[in-house]
Amino acid sequence: MNIEDRVLNSVKGVLDKRPEVTLDSRLLEDLLVDSLDKLMILSAIEDEFGLEIEEKFADVHTVKDIVVKLKARGY
Amino acid sequence: MDRKEFYKRLWVDESLAEVTGYNPYYLSVNSGLNERLLVNGCKMIDLASNNYLGLATDTRVKQAAIEAVQKYGVSLCGTPIATGYIDLFQRLEEELSSFVGLERTVILPSCYQANNGLFSCLAGSEDLIVVDRLVHSSLIQGIKAAGCKIRPFLHNNLNHLEGILQRSSSYRQVFVVTESVFSTEGSLAPFKEIVELCEKYGAMPIIDDSHGIGVLGKSGQGILEEQKIEGYKGIYTASLGKALANSGGMISGEKRVIDFLKYYCSHLVYSTALSPAVLAGISAVLDIIRVEFAGIKHRLNSYQRQIHESLSEGGFEVAACEAPINSIETGSKEVTFILAQKLYDKGILSTPFIEPSVPLNQGRVRLIAGAGLSQGTVNEAVAIIKRIGAS
Repeated sequence: MNIEDRVLNSVKGVLDKRPEVTLDSRLLEDLLVDSLDKLMILSAIEDEFGLEIEEKFADVHTVKDIVVKLKARGY
Repeated sequence: MDRKEFYKRLWVDESLAEVTGYNPYYLSVNSGLNERLLVNGCKMIDLASNNYLGLATDTRVKQAAIEAVQKYGVSLCGTPIATGYIDLFQRLEEELSSFVGLERTVILPSCYQANNGLFSCLAGSEDLIVVDRLVHSSLIQGIKAAGCKIRPFLHNNLNHLEGILQRSSSYRQVFVVTESVFSTEGSLAPFKEIVELCEKYGAMPIIDDSHGIGVLGKSGQGILEEQKIEGYKGIYTASLGKALANSGGMISGEKRVIDFLKYYCSHLVYSTALSPAVLAGISAVLDIIRVEFAGIKHRLNSYQRQIHESLSEGGFEVAACEAPINSIETGSKEVTFILAQKLYDKGILSTPFIEPSVPLNQGRVRLIAGAGLSQGTVNEAVAIIKRIGAS
């Protein structure tokens, strides 16, 4: 599975009752993500990629932004 | 630095109240929780308060409070660690411990303070707190204050919780936090199973039983009795201002935990102790529950069913509630306010929940028909709800 699908699956896994999640989905405007949802997404990403995320991902606006961040870390 | 700018930042967004023409907050209440509640001078049916058992205006409870005032005055003007630890306080701690079946209890000015103070006292940066996604703000704020790693799990989802626990063995201590009754939607936590998972992985369960104490269980003793959880080794918090009809909060658990909190929980140590009237009032409520719970609970359940049926008949989307709560799923904050306003205009006081109390666009209007209401009043409420639904 490529990194995009792994991120999408992680996000979908913790955002129940949400509309369709795509790479272009905006966390706030489209997926209605609040601070706890964001923590859940970060946790799911940590589990999926076996990494520890200390930063708060404040500049992450879309699902694709998470992929970009992970790629920058060498994934 | 400019103080004018400071004041400019303190801006309350009242646009929703302006759009809907209704502000449900800080309504002026001019009476106690009687058969009719006086709100802004109008007689209303109270389906909003948490007076589950209808004991907030019970004559015996009021008398107990009066006698306590006569004996002790209105306040001891000190924290429990100083002059506030009167014999009433100590006895109530013992009564509450016995009531919920745990070793020791400490009483705080509110459950918000209990939940706020608990985590920063017991957890640190080497620990992990795993928390149900939908727990009350007091728990979230308390957890965030502890400065440890936080992992929310999907609401009541045991598989998700266990997955997190499986991957969390490297922490000094893992705490699993949930509520017995999720009060905005009326669902119950599968707490027995959560306790079993905690046992399996060495985690410490923490339950907030604010909407369960005095309501759940055969004798009203709360979630532990309801789900037949014996020998509970975790931590328990609850509000004394809902079914127990007074004010304050409690933390119960093993002696070692409570003794520690009594000296190190700032929210307790630096807060003026509950007043004598309240301590005596809670004790009187416990006495009534011991004797009369079966009858009161029967009424509470019956009223809940009647309101639920009227909502369904009126075409409202009502959550399947496991507690004596009716929760209408309204969605957006605008629709939530508008429904609360319709109820208000027809004489029913309800509780609307919008974000951040609930996730975005998952607004709800909650109705609690306490056992203190008469059947006639509930009949009126049922008729009003059906009329609103039909319109």
